Amino acid sequence: MSFLEVRDLCLDVGGFELDRIELKAEKGDYLTLIGPTGSGKSLLLETIIGFYGPEKGRIILEGKDITDLPPNMRQISIVYQDHMLFPHMNVFENIAYAIRKKLRDKKQIEAEVKQIAGVLGIGELLHRKPATLSGGEKQRAAIARSLIVRPKLLLLDEPFSALDARTKEKLRKMLKKAIGEYSTTVLHVTHDFEDVWALANRVVVLRKGKVMQSGDPESVFRRPSPDFVAEFLGTNVLKGKVKALEGKLTVIEAEGLEIYSSDPAEPGEEVAVSIRPEEVILARGVMESSARNTLKGKVSGVFKKEHLVVVEMEMGHAEIKVVVTPTSCEMLGLEPGREMYAVFKASNARIIR
Amino acid sequence: MQFLKYPGMKYSWFKKFTVGIALFFTFLLFLSIGTLLFVLSPSEIFSALLSEEMLYSMKLSILTASVSTFSVMCCSIPTAYALSRFSFPGKSIIKTVLGLPMAFPELVMGLALLLLFGQSFLGPALEAVGIKVTFSKLGIIIAQFFVSFPYAVRIIYSTFEDINPRYELVSRSFGYGEFETFRHVTLPMARSGLFASGVITFARCIGAFGAVLVLAGGSYMYTEVLPVTLYLNISYGNLEMAITSGILLMGIAFLAILSFERFEGGRP
Repeated sequence: MSFLEVRDLCLDVGGFELDRIELKAEKGDYLTLIGPTGSGKSLLLETIIGFYGPEKGRIILEGKDITDLPPNMRQISIVYQDHMLFPHMNVFENIAYAIRKKLRDKKQIEAEVKQIAGVLGIGELLHRKPATLSGGEKQRAAIARSLIVRPKLLLLDEPFSALDARTKEKLRKMLKKAIGEYSTTVLHVTHDFEDVWALANRVVVLRKGKVMQSGDPESVFRRPSPDFVAEFLGTNVLKGKVKALEGKLTVIEAEGLEIYSSDPAEPGEEVAVSIRPEEVILARGVMESSARNTLKGKVSGVFKKEHLVVVEMEMGHAEIKVVVTPTSCEMLGLEPGREMYAVFKASNARIIR
Repeated sequence: MQFLKYPGMKYSWFKKFTVGIALFFTFLLFLSIGTLLFVLSPSEIFSALLSEEMLYSMKLSILTASVSTFSVMCCSIPTAYALSRFSFPGKSIIKTVLGLPMAFPELVMGLALLLLFGQSFLGPALEAVGIKVTFSKLGIIIAQFFVSFPYAVRIIYSTFEDINPRYELVSRSFGYGEFETFRHVTLPMARSGLFASGVITFARCIGAFGAVLVLAGGSYMYTEVLPVTLYLNISYGNLEMAITSGILLMGIAFLAILSFERFEGGRP
């Protein structure tokens, strides 16, 4: 039996719904739930913590059915995007409030608060009211407040989405460290892939209240199954038709391009092809290589993203995103208007249906 | 919100019309208040203030209004919380009934209460255990209670509505029960709204007249609160007493509005 099991969970609260959700997590897992707005991610978390009662289905934590327990008996904590720090208490009181049900001794409480504040770097802010803190500081205080009780399960509802990129990065590192120290199982709702890459060991993709796909990040990102997942995960999706079969390869005509894929398909079939931006190589000229696909195109845009560069290429009628390092960007002299060749293997052009 | 200025604004007759009306009637109101204040000489006000009747009426007003305000707050906080947080059968009916007295003449409310406590089964039953509501000081409190209760519920309801229930959920998740959460999180977060509704309730209780007159009767030096003093003295033609109680009532209203504005504006 898994540490956390959500079985056949159904709930409709008007506008948001959960439709037969199945979820499993092992102790120590860091599970991210991704999906577009309105896919029922937050509703799922608030049902697990006990804010809503499901119409159908069970929630099992550590082998115990907690579906009908009130939230105060579940030992689950939650951190929201807008932190929900109590405005009438300062940071110390906020964090101490959480532990006061477990510890009576004032000295012990103070020691615990100091410890978690140290881990999250908010030791200097303990006497401040939440309204005087920056977004990142508030979120660290909220994380401290949730972790200090050593919950069985920590729920994070888009905790970083209101923060700027640098703060996010810093907070992710701190969160990772804190979670390691308090050895917590985490369910993290997000729409940011960086969260998935940096933190998670498992991903669940939700859409319209349904689980579309789940697995470890690597496999979900590499083998996006339904069309939606591929679109959502930011890969290049080209729509086309299978033209012919050449030996073991499938030739697809898609948006004015001829693409070789090693995935099987029937001639005449309408398909979509997914090409991950990081699996494309850019070259100045045609080169001899083992890669079957060499497509000519024009650079239409170059953007920095975190520590990488995203290059947008115009090819046929399509626009294809390619990710390169800043060094190769400089070496190749990439700038809008330049003609380049995009090279990728047939095995990296995945047919998705 | 304000409109941007535009070139033709200077000649806008519509602007002149609306601003003119605003100025004219505010001026009239101001003038009437001023007359009330300056028609008597300070010595006349002073002697009326210190008369036995006025002192009695002041004391009774403050006493009854304090008791009513306290009981209104005790009842309206749970009522407003239930309406804001829980769904239960009959919720919309309760909301409608509570909204009714706002548009309902106070005098009719007094009559309804008089019939309830005087004619129906309730009056004799209460009297059997020694509680007399009609034409008594208790009647004043009951009348004040029912006049101000709906307003208090409305203000506190909107205060609770402004507090995100997720705060309460977070508190619950740390092991606190519903009542503990209410006491440690919801009440402190609602304190400015609660204060405001307390002030408004007190002002309404002091000023309640129609229902008090009908239910408690306006008898001289017995169930005589400030609005009743004003009314009785007008009918005797004793203007000094009437005007002085008017000034007192106005002063209380003014203080109430002042502290209401201060606390509503400066939310923590």
